[in-house]
Amino acid sequence: MISKKFILLIIFFSSIQLFTNNSFSVDPDEILENKKLEMRARIISKNTRCLVCQNQSIDESNSPLAKDLRKIIRKKLLEGKNDDEIYSFLTDRYGDFILLKPSLKLNTIALWFLPFFFLLIGLFIIFYHNKKSKKN
Amino acid sequence: MKKKILILPLVVFLLILLTFSYLLVIDRNPQEIPSNLINKKIPNFEANFLFKDKKFIFPEELENKIILVNFFATWCKPCRDEHAYIKNFSEQEEITVIGINYKDDPKKTIKWLNNLGNPYRHVLLDKTGKIAIEWGVYGIPETFVVNSNGIIKYRQAGPVTKKIYKKINLLIKEIK
Repeated sequence: MISKKFILLIIFFSSIQLFTNNSFSVDPDEILENKKLEMRARIISKNTRCLVCQNQSIDESNSPLAKDLRKIIRKKLLEGKNDDEIYSFLTDRYGDFILLKPSLKLNTIALWFLPFFFLLIGLFIIFYHNKKSKKN
Repeated sequence: MKKKILILPLVVFLLILLTFSYLLVIDRNPQEIPSNLINKKIPNFEANFLFKDKKFIFPEELENKIILVNFFATWCKPCRDEHAYIKNFSEQEEITVIGINYKDDPKKTIKWLNNLGNPYRHVLLDKTGKIAIEWGVYGIPETFVVNSNGIIKYRQAGPVTKKIYKKINLLIKEIK
């Protein structure tokens, strides 16, 4: 039997993650004075993959390319560009790979829906197995 | 019927296994990001020349030749490694080689080119890295092959090696 203390310890350590702020690499000189624009820049940066350290967003990455892209995003926001225009600027040059959350397109359907398909298969097998063992 | 259903997970597992084995066996670098500019027109941009005091306006100054665009820097070791191959390309008459000097010190670049030889028809400066972003560059060196109509046909991310040199030469023969 797993002791209660052990379970509490697991809950404690897993909940630490909930109360910490995610780290970010935005330098003070990059931050925009307009808070609304800065917030939009942060959201776009969080959705943009750093192409150098591919599992980080450009918001978290220290790489020079991530910094350059953060600056360009902020410049475009100041020019009055909307979010879609900025995302298409990025994908025109780097493809969908630059988006951490790929858009729903014909060639990404499998990516989005296969997990649900496998879940259904799993549920079906569990359901079928249960029914069979009840009968026995 | 019952037995057939129980085989289903095994079939799915085997399919996944086959897919992964196939991806392991084929010649690919999972770190390499495919270029989104292949078969598209080269981006419009302006840049300063390294050796001339005027602006270069791309793609206005194309001469209907095959162009090799090479992003390089003196601080980049792989750029030095691939330099001999870039020189070989520049010796071919049908190719114009353009170098884009990425985030570098012009004085160091001039010294570097004097030491190693200058294979570039034009050397352009990208001090801020903006031109590289226009080309979808994510690490240097990178080399693009552009046909005589200004359409990008190939992108090499990373240094040109012997194998890549042969590959690009074959491609140039095809698009000539």
